[in-house]
Amino acid sequence: MTTRSNRLAAALIAPLLILVVASFVVPLAVTLYTAIGNPEVRDTLPRTAAGLRAWNAEGLPAEQAFEAIASELAQAQEGQSIGQLSRRLNFEQLGMRALLLKTARAKDDLGTPYKDALIALDPRWGETDTWRLLHRNVAAVTPLYLLRSLDLSVAPDGSVVHAPRDESVFRALFARTFIISFWVTVLCVVLGYPVAYTLSTLPPRWANAGLALVLVPFWTSILVRTTAWFILLQKEGPVNALLQSMQIVDAPLTLIFTRFAVYVAMVHVLLPFVILPLYGVMKGIDPVYMRAAASLGAPGWKRFLRVYLPMTMPGVAAGALMVFMLAVGFYVTPALVGGPDDQMVSYFIAFFTNQTINWGMAAALALLLLAMTAVIVTVARLVVPGFKVGAVNL
Amino acid sequence: MRINATTAAALAAAMLTTGAVAARDLMIVGFGGPFQDNARTALFQGYAKATSQAVKDDVYNGEMAKVYSMVKSGDVTYDVIMVEAPELVRGCEDGVFEKMDWNVVKRDKFISGGSTTCGAGAVLWGVTLFYDPTKVQNGPDTYAKLWDVKTYPGKRLLRQSPKTTLEIALLADGVPPADVYKLLGTPAGQKRAFDKLDQIKPNLMWWKSGTQPVQMITSGDATYAVGFTGRIVRANEGGAKYPLLWKTLLYSVDYWAVVKGSPNAKEGFKMIEWITDTKPLLALADIYAVSPANKEAAANPALSAKNPGMLSSHVSDGLFINTEFWVANGEDLEQKFNAWLAK
Repeated sequence: MTTRSNRLAAALIAPLLILVVASFVVPLAVTLYTAIGNPEVRDTLPRTAAGLRAWNAEGLPAEQAFEAIASELAQAQEGQSIGQLSRRLNFEQLGMRALLLKTARAKDDLGTPYKDALIALDPRWGETDTWRLLHRNVAAVTPLYLLRSLDLSVAPDGSVVHAPRDESVFRALFARTFIISFWVTVLCVVLGYPVAYTLSTLPPRWANAGLALVLVPFWTSILVRTTAWFILLQKEGPVNALLQSMQIVDAPLTLIFTRFAVYVAMVHVLLPFVILPLYGVMKGIDPVYMRAAASLGAPGWKRFLRVYLPMTMPGVAAGALMVFMLAVGFYVTPALVGGPDDQMVSYFIAFFTNQTINWGMAAALALLLLAMTAVIVTVARLVVPGFKVGAVNL
Repeated sequence: MRINATTAAALAAAMLTTGAVAARDLMIVGFGGPFQDNARTALFQGYAKATSQAVKDDVYNGEMAKVYSMVKSGDVTYDVIMVEAPELVRGCEDGVFEKMDWNVVKRDKFISGGSTTCGAGAVLWGVTLFYDPTKVQNGPDTYAKLWDVKTYPGKRLLRQSPKTTLEIALLADGVPPADVYKLLGTPAGQKRAFDKLDQIKPNLMWWKSGTQPVQMITSGDATYAVGFTGRIVRANEGGAKYPLLWKTLLYSVDYWAVVKGSPNAKEGFKMIEWITDTKPLLALADIYAVSPANKEAAANPALSAKNPGMLSSHVSDGLFINTEFWVANGEDLEQKFNAWLAK
């Protein structure tokens, strides 16, 4: 290649590169930083932080730290910046919010020596663990959000411990997310395969009509399709009415807010993503191979298993991969038709982003979801045949 | 009309100044729904007419993420915003809301608890137990009875949030209202609440959006529900016959606040002063059943006669949702609640 065409290639690829950096690398870096960043103590209590750096985390810090925290907390309340600090420390150690606000409010009653005054105000200021908590969070990064996202937490003395059982939610959540995504993928492939096969064998006029039936829902908003299932599946909805009128059930079934509803709606939403690549691959298979297999005496099932299926594996792999990746990040569908124990990781990411404004937790969950999905897809590429073939060799 | 040169120059100057100070209309943001539809006429445009300050309104769903991003990025497009009590306290400490200018807004007109550092009380809201009397005769009228699944079979619909749900569990367990938050602040009290919920967990369903309780009672998916009183009253105006069980009331206040860094902060305070005054609130009450946080308006006998659901007439029966408790313990209890739900 000449230098000129190299330069041309670089110019052509530049917009793509900028797009990838702006829409992928930068958000990922920001997410990573949000998941481990720890600015609250350093920003809000700079003098206290400086004092604590000189402390060896045994016994109690020097008077200077007591004086610094008393005045800086009062300033933070006046300057409307105490919220983030108190919430951050309360998240790590329940009760810290009350302690910090109480101390900030008491500023006029405090005087030298601050050490005695603070301990008189609240005995927690005389405990080493309270100061260790602050000391720990002088550091620029914290593992807390990532630990919490894996149901681990930091004990007052700084060691990593399992979260109490009545607070453990995230390991089960990740497992549930991947199990639901796995079964949705399997169902989509099992249901989509015969549909794609039938479409690929129809005469063009019928095949186009069939493809339109696949594509029209594909173009419809995911919210609309999910809401449609909500209406269909409710207690006095058409599905229950039909089942009752056919006397299959006596009383209406609880269909909405169940795992069943989540599977139905997710499979419906994601089915086109497996049908379309499969259809493309199947259209490209020359029927002559099947005829050759037949002429060599292979029975129908063997022709399918040994000849047809291997040739369609790239389509299966591409469709399955796409469905799985999309399913892992599903939010709207489980939120609308699922019950509280059918929610996936995205639900909690949205919950921490919007409701509790704990962006560290949201970022940590997002990061872990990304990492786990990457691991699963890599393993799948190694062990599932067809993943390395042609178009899907990512 | 005759316009001389001086007036024209003054007008031009005035337009230039307004253009520089406030490049856009005053933006007031609420939770939407029928309240906002009627407040638009009586309060927002009423203020616009009274002061010739152009006012626009927008809707958000109470999630604070957008407001936090606005303040963080310095691109503040909301001026006055309606917020729930815990969000107000948090946002005030986080510097997301301006401190209320109590020189502009008269603080003494609000009911007790109706004014804070950053917020001026707008309306009261509450939840109560209700059911469809055409399907259930003599349903439960206390939370203790709601736990009696033998006498009262069927699904119970509660809010998918520890807030209100844990209080209800303790009330059902016979805890006096005055002790609810003292107990909920202790591990033993929390365990007691979750144990109580465990007793009827298979009979529980959960709502996320305020429209769902009435919707799911109507559709038959739930037999009993705890939902917003405003929605129940509205359904009754539309022909439903839901009983209003005031003994089961849990209530709080929504506030008006000014977003930090709003270019219209001054105008915002002026507007808050106007829309929390008795006269505009009575005008709103003419077209919409409102529960104002203004003492004089709330005490107006004509108003309570017209609105059977006016909360200020019933607060003595109810439990005030403790704002500071939820700011301090909300996140921890959310986590425990989510873990409990998924069990």
